[in-house]
Amino acid sequence: MHLTRPDKKSDIMYLLRSGTLHAVLLFVTLFFSCSDVGETGGERITLTYWSAANQYEIDLAAAIVDEWNGRHPEIEVKHQPIPEGSSSEEIVLASVVGKTTPDVFSNMWPGDIELYAQADALVPLDHFVDYDSFAASRYSPGILQESLANDGRCYHILWKTNPIMMAYNKKWLSRAGFDHPPETYEEFLNMGETITADTDGDGYTDRWMGITQILVTWWQRFFDYYTLYIAASGGKTLVENGVIDFDNNTSVAVFRFLQTVFSRGYFPRERMDARSDAFLHSIVATRFVGPWEVVHAEKFKPEGFEYDFAPVPRPEGCSGPVYTYGDYKSIVLFKNSRHPEEAWRFAKHLVSRANDLKLLEMTNQLPLRKGLTQDTLFIPYFERNPMMERFARQAQYCRGTDYSPVLKEIFDAISQEFEASVIYGLKPPEEAVRRAAERARLISDQL
Amino acid sequence: MNKRIKKLTGERTAGYLFVSPYFIHLLVFTAFPLLFSFVLIFHKWNIISAMEWAGLANFIQLARDRLFFRSIGNTLIFLLIHIPLQIVIALLLAEFLNQKIRFRGFFRASYFMPVVVSGVVVTILWQQLYGQDTGVINSLLARLGMVKLPWLTSIRLAMPSIAIMATWKNVGLYIVLFLVGLQSVPKTLYEAAEVEGASHWQQFRHITLPMINPTMIMVVILSTIGGFSLFIEPYVMTGGGPVNSTLSAMLYVYKQAFSFYHMGYAATLGFFYALVVFSVVLIQKKVVESEVPY
Amino acid sequence: MRRTLFYIILIIWTVIFIYPFLWMLSATLRPEAEIGGFGIVPSRITLDSYVHVFQKIPILRAFLNSLFVASSVTAGVLVVGSMIGYALARLQFRGRSLVFTILLFTMTLPFQIILIPQYILMVKFHWTESYLALIIPYFVNAFSIILFRQHFLTIPQDLVDAARVDGCSEFYILFRIFWPLSVPTLITVAIITFMTSWNEVLWPLIVIHERNLMTMPQLVAIFVVGGQAESLMGVKLAAAMLLALPVIIAYSVFQRYFIESMATSGLKE
Repeated sequence: MHLTRPDKKSDIMYLLRSGTLHAVLLFVTLFFSCSDVGETGGERITLTYWSAANQYEIDLAAAIVDEWNGRHPEIEVKHQPIPEGSSSEEIVLASVVGKTTPDVFSNMWPGDIELYAQADALVPLDHFVDYDSFAASRYSPGILQESLANDGRCYHILWKTNPIMMAYNKKWLSRAGFDHPPETYEEFLNMGETITADTDGDGYTDRWMGITQILVTWWQRFFDYYTLYIAASGGKTLVENGVIDFDNNTSVAVFRFLQTVFSRGYFPRERMDARSDAFLHSIVATRFVGPWEVVHAEKFKPEGFEYDFAPVPRPEGCSGPVYTYGDYKSIVLFKNSRHPEEAWRFAKHLVSRANDLKLLEMTNQLPLRKGLTQDTLFIPYFERNPMMERFARQAQYCRGTDYSPVLKEIFDAISQEFEASVIYGLKPPEEAVRRAAERARLISDQL
Repeated sequence: MNKRIKKLTGERTAGYLFVSPYFIHLLVFTAFPLLFSFVLIFHKWNIISAMEWAGLANFIQLARDRLFFRSIGNTLIFLLIHIPLQIVIALLLAEFLNQKIRFRGFFRASYFMPVVVSGVVVTILWQQLYGQDTGVINSLLARLGMVKLPWLTSIRLAMPSIAIMATWKNVGLYIVLFLVGLQSVPKTLYEAAEVEGASHWQQFRHITLPMINPTMIMVVILSTIGGFSLFIEPYVMTGGGPVNSTLSAMLYVYKQAFSFYHMGYAATLGFFYALVVFSVVLIQKKVVESEVPY
Repeated sequence: MRRTLFYIILIIWTVIFIYPFLWMLSATLRPEAEIGGFGIVPSRITLDSYVHVFQKIPILRAFLNSLFVASSVTAGVLVVGSMIGYALARLQFRGRSLVFTILLFTMTLPFQIILIPQYILMVKFHWTESYLALIIPYFVNAFSIILFRQHFLTIPQDLVDAARVDGCSEFYILFRIFWPLSVPTLITVAIITFMTSWNEVLWPLIVIHERNLMTMPQLVAIFVVGGQAESLMGVKLAAAMLLALPVIIAYSVFQRYFIESMATSGLKE
């Protein structure tokens, strides 16, 4: 092995080279990891506004922001779609922890409000002088009540709602001999009996009455148990007067209804991910969905497919309008903001009448504004989109979620019991509901 | 003499210099987290608020947490199916490959392919294979006149299904390991046994098995550690269901930490899972090592 | 006769291991409605599923991310790992055996206990949503250090002494003398480190939530678990296929190295 005599220079080179490699790596990564934070400079104020990242809302936000910047050159709003990721909630959490929050955020799930409010991350909106008049002009009394957190203060603007209704296949309804969509559990079950069948004679059912995802993810319950509970209880949520009280006959009735639906095989136990859209391809006759289904259905429906929407079913003997779960999204101001007053002005602008119309037209989502269907500004839109009008009328009878920092875990507890009792029939509804409530109380007490 | 001292000091400085990145890294990414975990388990913390002293509350919660015990039970079910299946198949195929056959490289390469591919790929693929109605496996079973099984939606079958998939994915690695072990057994032992009239099975039992014991131990230990690290498979395939029958240790930690933000409790879970893994591996080592006569 | 039996069984198992991949490939090239059953011949070939994937997620970007992260980690491990292995093998200094013992001890530490605190560390450093969190924690790998040390011990001390006499610095000795003599070990460590880094999913899921920074397996996992694939199986399988492709290609070319490297990883005990 022949060694040439090295000089000091070459190993300094080595040091430099490996050091440089590391330095370059570090610089490159730091470069990529820089994020934008709202700045202030001189007299001009800049606000950062995060919106949801789906294309419709990006377009909407861009339109609103452009118009605002044109009219308010002294308050520039920089719009950024929230980084699209596994879950916008995690991104928001990361930004709160890292103190890189925007001034205004418009995709906040109200269930998280209590968590962030208790962590002192949100600006209480009712401390703005004109809040009361704003709220009175926008909200119906019911929504006004819902906008208040546990401490009686308001931390968000309720922006839009996606009420859950029952989509149904019109052809099958009439073919099965029914002249109206099922309004009670009894009717639903009867229809299920007729419709669920094995159409190709291979011994396995291939047509079902409906479907709900059997995933145990906590938010799945919004589309079955929670919606039905709100409907059956005439608009009650899980918590009443600060106390968890959903372990009642209503919950049991809902659990029992859904348990029956599964045990009789009207809903499949399969995940249905392994094939194309079950409702549009006439594999299931009903589905509990929100207004997003309208756009989706229009885009993907096969030739000759007819559908409509009706309120979700309730037990017999219920009266009054049918309530449902309205998947709300809120606008919030983060406390780290250096210009809360200006941020508030922009936030109000986001929900002006004109922009609410834009919301409808550009994203087909319903603003949480009272009197939507009677307002002359919006009537033309609903005339063009009759399906959306169904949802708009339903939107008057909606409930959101309660205020609790452990809401997700409570829904998770319900989901666990739901899975065991409703989907797999392992325990009677009474026991499941009781245990779910017990666990929910335990979780809340552990705070 | 001077030169020697100079050389030694040079070596020593270089030694410290070379080792320093490791030391810094160790301190920051291993030692500190380890110590911090001991702090975390006595606190409640949801990341955005301040840390709250919780005393023994996390431990009490863990002791009452049926999901914690469920996850350990699930892992045991997984291991009880996965390990024997893996050993039998890997050993069998390694034996065959050890014979004088052609295309050994080709066979070995095809068995090994699932090993290199990402777990995500395998999970997505098998999710469809296991599909109830139109899945490949059930279609095959139906064609053969058998019953379609609810692989992923049955409480009893879900974890075994994952175990089978994990075996399919990893057995290639163990075939290769066994092959190496088999090839290191001196041929003379077999020849001597032949001469004494030992049957093929007897040779296998009394020569092969003891000689590859070390490999066997390694397979068991690696699989056990793997079993307690199971995450992406249940995460993608079943979400931990049905009814928590596929809830794995790491999935539960992940859920507590990143769905509910119970950092203190998640750290407590992590701590105890680590303890369980440690003990199980230790026991396995003791048990298997005591059986080696050589 | 027995030989034929062997071949039959070996071939059956080859089918068991390879057929699913072929099926997956065929499923991704078929129209959605035809996916199902175990046949692998489609009635017609369509790229719709792949188009859908490219439209929905930045999979190319994720591929580049994975490439960047895995390469950086591998480079780091090769450089730093060999440095420490060298120090433990050929440099005399006080505390050397202590370091080695600590090294062995850390290898027995189950990661479950460190996971959450390490995440919190990333949050405190503000490294979440950055490549730093994906790379730096993996820079030092005990197993690679041991492999390097093991191999370096086999290089004769005389070589080192001669080089030192000649006035070579330790850096020079390591990178100019030992590295060329350790190519198999370098390849083994490189492949194992690269593959492990590439396939790592849990950690990226924890520290990265921004889509543009996600690694490829992470992005595909989220795509499949979330609702974005719109319940279309062909699309999900196409995403999985794209994820598998780089590795399968690398594997077909370098398969011998892959197999030998990963076999060595099991022999560490």
